[in-house]
Amino acid sequence: MIDLLAAIPIAAVICLVLFTALDIFWKLPKQGGVSGADVIGKELEKNGGDLNGGWMIGNIISSPDASAGTLLAACGYYVWGIWGAVISIVLVYIGARICADKGFAGTSGAVCAALIIWALTSFAGFPPESFIAGCVIAIFLVEGISTRHATRLLGKIWRKVS
Amino acid sequence: MIVEGICVVIAAYCAIRAVFEPKTLKKLPYLNVMNFAVAGAIVLLMPYPITICAAIAYFIGSTLESNAIASTFARLEEQ
Repeated sequence: MIDLLAAIPIAAVICLVLFTALDIFWKLPKQGGVSGADVIGKELEKNGGDLNGGWMIGNIISSPDASAGTLLAACGYYVWGIWGAVISIVLVYIGARICADKGFAGTSGAVCAALIIWALTSFAGFPPESFIAGCVIAIFLVEGISTRHATRLLGKIWRKVS
Repeated sequence: MIVEGICVVIAAYCAIRAVFEPKTLKKLPYLNVMNFAVAGAIVLLMPYPITICAAIAYFIGSTLESNAIASTFARLEEQ
């Protein structure tokens, strides 16, 4: 069993890489999926940020994407093991459909997070609650410190990948 | 207790930043982080299977609210 204090930073990095990779895979920085995401992206660009990064943050805010899927799968797994994660995956898909999203990013995020959390808790001795704290820290790094720098970095990654 | 503490501290910090941010659209990223932290704290403080539904309902509801606020701003800009 890994110590909780050591597990949280590792879980934060895993969550950050997982949801950024999935959001870029589903092309969230390409455009604002709904009108709200579009206007948030333009507002963040006006503030000195990057438009593609702004659209990605706009999409994260406007609908449950891979980051929401990661957090909610971690919550489900913590409370009720693999069954909790399955309930989370179904509810994230329903929630994404309510928010006028196709639901691919959120559902795939929840599925991938559930598999990774199951593997790391079963075989590497990670405590499941470390992934809840890790995901909260990861989203805090993206949106809570400086949206200007975060959007620039996300835009740079998007342009390099696309 | 460490994990609950991290969630509560991040939620409180983002709530304070959202209060002092003058532009409504720029408040939304902070509110989103706060929603993540509160949804995590709900599950951590009440670890029962039914709490998963409560946390997801809270999170989806708050996302829908952010979506509605941002869409209203988009419509106002169009006009």
